[in-house]
Amino acid sequence: MRQDVIALPALDPHPGSIAYVDTETTGLAGGAGTYIFAAAVATAIPAGLRVVQLFLPEPGMESAFLHALRDEVEPAGGLATFNGGSFDLPILRTRWVMARMPGEFSLAPHVDLLTLVRALYRHRLENCTLRYVEQRVLGYERDDPLPSALVPDAYFGYLREGSRDFLEAALEHNRLDVVSLVHLHSRLLRRLQGADIDMDADDWLALGRHRWRRGARADGWRALRNATAFARGEAAATAGLLLTRRLVRRGSIAGADRLLGWLETNAREDIRVSLARARLLEWRRGDPARALSVVEAAQHRMPEEAAELEQRRVRLLGKLRSRDEVRRGDRDCGKRDRRQVQLEAPILDGTA
Amino acid sequence: MSGLAAFDPSEHPGDITLDRVIPASAATFAPLPADLRPELVAALGRRGVEMLYSHQAEAYVAVRNGRHLVVVTPTASGKTLCYNLPVLQRLLEDPAKRALYVYPTKALAQDQLAELGALKSGLPIEVRVDTYDGDTPPGRRTAIREGGHIVMTNPDMLHTGLLPHHTRWRRLFSSLEFVVIDELHTYRGLFGSQVANVIRRLKRICAFYGSHPTFICASATIRNPLELARRLLEEQNIALVDRSGAPRGERRLVFYNPPLVNRDLGVRRSSMLEARRIAALWIRAGVQTIVFCRSRLQVEVMLSYLRQDLAPRLDASKRVRGYRAGYLPLHRREIEAGLRDGEITGVVSTNALELGIDIGTLQCAVLVGYPGTIASTWQQLGRAGRRSGSIGVFVASSSPLDQFIVRHPEYFLGTDPEEGLIDPDNLLLLAAHLQAGLFELPFMDDERLGAADVQELLKLFEEDGSATRSAGRWFWSRQAFPADEVHLRRILADNVVIIDTSKPRPQVIGEMDQFTAPVLLHEEAVYLHEGAQYHVDRLDWEEKKAYVRPVEVDYYTDALASVSVQVLDTFAGPRDEALSRSHGEVKITSLASMFKKIRFQTHENIGAGPIHLPEQTLHTTGYWITVDEDLWRSLGKETLDHPTKSGDFAGTPEMEAGLQGMAHSLRHIASLRLMCDPRDLGSVAEVRSITTLLPTVTVFEVYPGGVGFSARLYELHRELLEDAAALVRDCPCAAGCPSCVGPLHLVQGAKEACLKLLSASALPV
Repeated sequence: MRQDVIALPALDPHPGSIAYVDTETTGLAGGAGTYIFAAAVATAIPAGLRVVQLFLPEPGMESAFLHALRDEVEPAGGLATFNGGSFDLPILRTRWVMARMPGEFSLAPHVDLLTLVRALYRHRLENCTLRYVEQRVLGYERDDPLPSALVPDAYFGYLREGSRDFLEAALEHNRLDVVSLVHLHSRLLRRLQGADIDMDADDWLALGRHRWRRGARADGWRALRNATAFARGEAAATAGLLLTRRLVRRGSIAGADRLLGWLETNAREDIRVSLARARLLEWRRGDPARALSVVEAAQHRMPEEAAELEQRRVRLLGKLRSRDEVRRGDRDCGKRDRRQVQLEAPILDGTA
Repeated sequence: MSGLAAFDPSEHPGDITLDRVIPASAATFAPLPADLRPELVAALGRRGVEMLYSHQAEAYVAVRNGRHLVVVTPTASGKTLCYNLPVLQRLLEDPAKRALYVYPTKALAQDQLAELGALKSGLPIEVRVDTYDGDTPPGRRTAIREGGHIVMTNPDMLHTGLLPHHTRWRRLFSSLEFVVIDELHTYRGLFGSQVANVIRRLKRICAFYGSHPTFICASATIRNPLELARRLLEEQNIALVDRSGAPRGERRLVFYNPPLVNRDLGVRRSSMLEARRIAALWIRAGVQTIVFCRSRLQVEVMLSYLRQDLAPRLDASKRVRGYRAGYLPLHRREIEAGLRDGEITGVVSTNALELGIDIGTLQCAVLVGYPGTIASTWQQLGRAGRRSGSIGVFVASSSPLDQFIVRHPEYFLGTDPEEGLIDPDNLLLLAAHLQAGLFELPFMDDERLGAADVQELLKLFEEDGSATRSAGRWFWSRQAFPADEVHLRRILADNVVIIDTSKPRPQVIGEMDQFTAPVLLHEEAVYLHEGAQYHVDRLDWEEKKAYVRPVEVDYYTDALASVSVQVLDTFAGPRDEALSRSHGEVKITSLASMFKKIRFQTHENIGAGPIHLPEQTLHTTGYWITVDEDLWRSLGKETLDHPTKSGDFAGTPEMEAGLQGMAHSLRHIASLRLMCDPRDLGSVAEVRSITTLLPTVTVFEVYPGGVGFSARLYELHRELLEDAAALVRDCPCAAGCPSCVGPLHLVQGAKEACLKLLSASALPV
């Protein structure tokens, strides 16, 4: 076991009493024959960041290793990992059984930083490896002597020949990983609070979706509204559509109608918006005539999408005609007038 | 006997070599066991079961007494109740207990899931039964691991899914009370040897979690069920229940050999067309009939034939159905149900329906070609007439095996079904499963894998870096996931994959072991796969890939490989006899150098080409027969009427062809006796072997190291010679044909010379 306290730049916000854990394993396959040979645990203490590294000198000492690991993480109020949900924790559970440890390995709550990165940054990243996230999100490049793929061999080399060169590199790799987790978590928390200064529509959309999914409705709503406020672009439209759906669910049909109308004037080339608006008008507002005008205007604006909308247009026309036939007897004139009026606006709109 | 399924020999132009009625036998009942829980009695009652057949009661008692069990009874004798009854009883007593059911195929597990579902539905506790295989959706897997009382799976899934991830299955393994292994007879030869090692690993894992399950095996009739179970389970306290109490209806059994078209070449009318004629008669008359074919392709062809024959009826395609692997599960369930309720009159199947899938009682069975083993033949014939009078017809093709069986019905009737042989200690298999076992759980310093001592192997692993010793134990120390490197149903060595390039997306249609590939998959070869011809366009030996496309040509290719055998170690033999037997470890070297194109029917040579491939060597076990010098000389004298000079072993072409014929016929007869695929064995004839210095015929196993066939062939020596002699003697061809002495039949006198050699052991020396 190695212990080290390193200076920690002021974290804003401060994540609190959390144990950050990163493990190095003898393979990626999982299963009973993959074991953990090194673990690094980082916890913030008043003096800075306490980093503890545990190492399994030979496989036969696993039980002692796991006891030491448990003693390190148990006092913490929670556990943070990168991809621990599907990797580190299942392996830890397996090792617990294999080493005949009492009870089960469990530490609640657990936050998987990879899940957060995927939710909040995926649109900005080609991949979500820790190395790449460090570069793109934290803004630093690490000079890593040992690629992750070679880490297990570094350990096997040590077991076989006692060679420490690569092993030291692997342990350093492990240490740097866990330190990165602390910084990454802080950064993610800032993003979760919406406190980052340079957020664009995509960022707000990702944040809004994530908050909403996690049940933080008010925060989610705010974030989606911020995304929509960018007005132009696909992300703003998507956010606006999500908001509309929620307005409709809440029964605020008029509000949804207004929002869609506003969106359509901004996102003029987004067929999703026009479609949503046509649907809302036809089914929620019971106004097929306006729906038809929206569809026709959209066809006019987006000739490449016209074919896709054609069926809807024909159906709406049919619906209006049959309605006309029913009403022709008594209110023939009024009906026709109203239709003309409704047809006018979008045509003007389209040519404007 | 029912008059419905008439079979009038005079209507058929071929030879009826067997026409026998097997009388009916009555049921033997036993009362329900006294300790059976009333809930279970009630559930059985709802299904109309008030008494058990005697074998079901025996099985129940044996398991309740804590013994392992093998049940061997015919198809449809209520075998599944033999294990379901004690398992359900135990689950009612203690719902925390668990059972693992292993079936050789996914389809069988599905079928049994439905079967058990019907029985358990009336029980007061919820018995959770699930299949767990490659088709199980990921979302359901956790629930099955945690809560499944009975988990149904297959050996492959056990090998790669359950055992390496045993910690996730802790609930199952720590409370595992029963392991059911159905269709035990399928676990023989290489596959059986693999599964035996999987069971060794299973028992290790159970011991880790402190459970010691009872094994219950069910098998179709084989000669040595108890011995096979002992080797597979490595347990001694195994009870055998092999007297069926189920009733059997009267059955008629017919062997039919299609008429000869060309006597010289031994060519007969197609077995497909003859079978079609026979089956169509019955199906048209509304008699439920099953037709068994040897390949999927044959199934499709037969299906279209029968539908044509039935064509005037509008619902022909509904009344006659195909059934084979590759159909979707739901589709298969629908066909099974259609057969049970009589909606379907005819079904054409591969051996997929031979196993215990419940399709109710059919009246007639037609077997197109010999299924390969006596046990399979009885299984397939058993599909017809579970209770009422019925008929089964075997229509022979012109392969040597078929011809031997059809001409020797007494062999079929008089011989016990084949035996299941396995050799779990084959070094390659053992090493592969030891790695998998090491991954699953460290090995103690004195621990064995089942009965096998593995300490030496572990030391070898340490040298190559796969194992590390620590604190008196061995640990797996590689990144790899070793179970993924072994496929239970394939040969271990690097196989050549056969790829059909004619489809828009190239498709793998098969694979072949490295040793045989140069002979059959060389460039320009015409490769036969499921009855269709493929031309080998390219053979990438480095990548082990053969690229083929379907063709229709009027010739086949025959590669000449010079094969030599070097004996490395003789385990037994030879004794000083005219034909002496030995067995031991051999090295086979094969160099394919050229091939010929030979026209069908006329067998004229229409071209040739070179083969440029490296020499292949195979270390395996073999059984060989040496021809005594005096016999060889006398043979020259008798058959050719001109003496050979003293010391001159180079025989005449006739003698050499005779020796080749001996190798060919022995190989086929050996596969018959061993219940293995003829492709599992190879044979070589050498006029002067480098080891024995005598004319020698060697039959060897194509799996590196062998799985124990050779030792058994050594024991069967006399029977093999007699059967091979009978095969050649009774073949109606004039001077030898592919059905008896093999492809060299054009040499005059080959058949006679071969027969002389094979019968020599019967002569006084």
